[in-house]
Amino acid sequence: MGVGRYIVARMAWAAMVSLIIVTITFLLLAFAPNPSVSEAATQAALQGGDPAAAAERERALRGLDQPLYVRYADFLRGVYTFEWGWSQNRAQPVTAALKEGIYYTAQYSIPWTVLTLLIGPLVGVYSAANMYSWRDHIATGVAFFGWAIPNFFFGIVLLVIFGVHLEWVPISYDPTVPVVSVANAFQLLLPVVVLVTGSIGAIMRVSRNESAEFQNAAFMKTARAKGVSPLRAYAYHVMRPTMVPLSTTLVSQLLVIFLGSSLLIEIVFGIPGLGRVTFDALINQDTNLVLGATLLFTFIAVIGNLIEDIVFTILDPRISYDDR
Amino acid sequence: MNDDTPRTFDEVDWEQHSDRGGVSVSRRLRMLIIGGTPIALLWLYDRLAVGQRERIFVSLGEDLGLSGLFSTLGIDFDPSSLDLLFVFTMLLFGAYVLVPLSQNPRMTRYYWREFTRNRPAVVSLGWLGVVFVGGVVGPFVIAMPEQNLLAAYQPPVFGSVDMAYVNNCLGGIENGRCHGTWAHPLGTDRGGKDVFAAVVHGMTVTMQITFITTTLVALIGITVGTVSAYAGGWVDELLMRFVDIVLSFPTLLFFLLILYIYGAGLGMFILVFSLFGWGATARYVRSKALAVSEAAFIDSARLSGASTYYIVRRHVVPNTASSIITQLTLIVPGFLLAEAQLAFLGIGDTAVPTWGELISSGRTAIDFAPWIVLVPGFALFLTILAFNFVGDALLDAINPESDAEVDR
Repeated sequence: MGVGRYIVARMAWAAMVSLIIVTITFLLLAFAPNPSVSEAATQAALQGGDPAAAAERERALRGLDQPLYVRYADFLRGVYTFEWGWSQNRAQPVTAALKEGIYYTAQYSIPWTVLTLLIGPLVGVYSAANMYSWRDHIATGVAFFGWAIPNFFFGIVLLVIFGVHLEWVPISYDPTVPVVSVANAFQLLLPVVVLVTGSIGAIMRVSRNESAEFQNAAFMKTARAKGVSPLRAYAYHVMRPTMVPLSTTLVSQLLVIFLGSSLLIEIVFGIPGLGRVTFDALINQDTNLVLGATLLFTFIAVIGNLIEDIVFTILDPRISYDDR
Repeated sequence: MNDDTPRTFDEVDWEQHSDRGGVSVSRRLRMLIIGGTPIALLWLYDRLAVGQRERIFVSLGEDLGLSGLFSTLGIDFDPSSLDLLFVFTMLLFGAYVLVPLSQNPRMTRYYWREFTRNRPAVVSLGWLGVVFVGGVVGPFVIAMPEQNLLAAYQPPVFGSVDMAYVNNCLGGIENGRCHGTWAHPLGTDRGGKDVFAAVVHGMTVTMQITFITTTLVALIGITVGTVSAYAGGWVDELLMRFVDIVLSFPTLLFFLLILYIYGAGLGMFILVFSLFGWGATARYVRSKALAVSEAAFIDSARLSGASTYYIVRRHVVPNTASSIITQLTLIVPGFLLAEAQLAFLGIGDTAVPTWGELISSGRTAIDFAPWIVLVPGFALFLTILAFNFVGDALLDAINPESDAEVDR
């Protein structure tokens, strides 16, 4: 099987996984008591009507009286044509609400992802090159610290130190400032720092341990003997093979941070991004928006895993596609 | 090994040794049955005979006619199903980790020597020991923290806080600042709840999450991994694709969805996170099991007529166990963090006091009462750090070939 066919097969599998997750979500919703139905029944009972009839009317209105497979087909059509319904609480379509969230989330997510991808492997390889020196110990210490400190806790502490006491950064997020401006950079500084320290630890450790094995490999000795500059030797002969095992942890690490922590970070720093939208929808019982956010995050996770696998196979020419 | 082990080969009493494996298995089983039966009975009793608002041991005392004895001893506990499960998982831990270690003192000493070479890991183990003892014994000694508005925002013992923030200072007042008292060694929060008591009760939750999720994840992960490795063919393919799905499932979001639709407590949290947390373990066990099954001693066992089940049970799982334990110590922090995050969001289980809840309750007062956030925050930080250090050191101690890795 060639690369092309492998990628096609892998994409088909990703589509399959997304379908399965969507199905599970549908089943969860289908077997749950619908808040609007019970609300209608309560209303009817309060006004002296027949609660059972009112509930039945509400069911018919929302199409809940149809057989399960019809509703399932409708649900699937809606999901994959991006008709994700109307957000009651925000009085706008779900997709529009999510788009607004993405606009703010991307402003800090792109910087931290880029910084993590740049700094993590570099520091890891550097500390492998200077293994057991004081620099390596500092890097290891930072890695463990960032890995272990809960992001939201770190965020609160930083906000108190630099926002409240030193007043270097604004305490509350101002969504009206232009994207490319000094003010925006300042208010996004702390969230980016928190997320970079949280995500960089694992990547530094993996790249350090993986690249340690290539430091003394025969090809490095050959390169050195031929007089290749250290920079070139590390960039071409150590970094490249390190990226292969690293790529398997990289994407999943970033995804975990993105899915888990961005929500918390947005609440700590008051950024009206995707996490905040999801959380508010949850609190306000906005079913369509909760569903939409869940689906969006799920698709991001599925696509992330897809990219990880494809990058992995492209980076490592030794992989045989039949085994995967 | 006993100390009276014969010195030379021909002195060995083979009769005594031939059924040794059987005896040790049944001893372990006996331990589980003896310990597990009362737990199961207590659970059934709670389900069938005890009313919603009654306390289990009070009602048990009445039914057994031992009310007087129970009340003089102060036995009026009301363990939840989760508490009972926690006790049972500790029993499992004893049977499957401590008993094998005590039966094999030579290897235990070797592991311990290797482990102690990593000094941060020893300190970390000490901290985990504190959390464990605090979590198991603490709730019996220290009462559940209670609201007491008259004691709100009391500072820790050697700390002080401006009188502007405190209505009623329990300690001494000097220069308009309220000083802490030993009545509240780590201060109190907005509602006057003792921070120290809340942290100790948070330890219980931490340990429950640790033990129960670890047990469930290990159980599912080892089963799926070994079955997949041994069955091969389409079963393997199917199970591994299933693992793919489990791995790409955004568990935290999924839990939010369940929470939103059905509502969920700590038990549901543990269940959902365990049911979606075993993917990496299963993959890991599978690759280990595949590697072990290539070994010559497996062939010789098979030639001696051992069944596949026997081989998996007696050779494959024990040989992968060391790596599994390491791997588990590295995934537990993820669960603890997730629980703290939910509690911080205010959508965790409100019936149990957790560290995340305390952090969130102290957020608004952090500029004048930082201890409310800092104490549980550092407890959480140290616990996660300790798990990582211990996991790293275990990896080095148990598996001499590998260097420390944090990734899995």
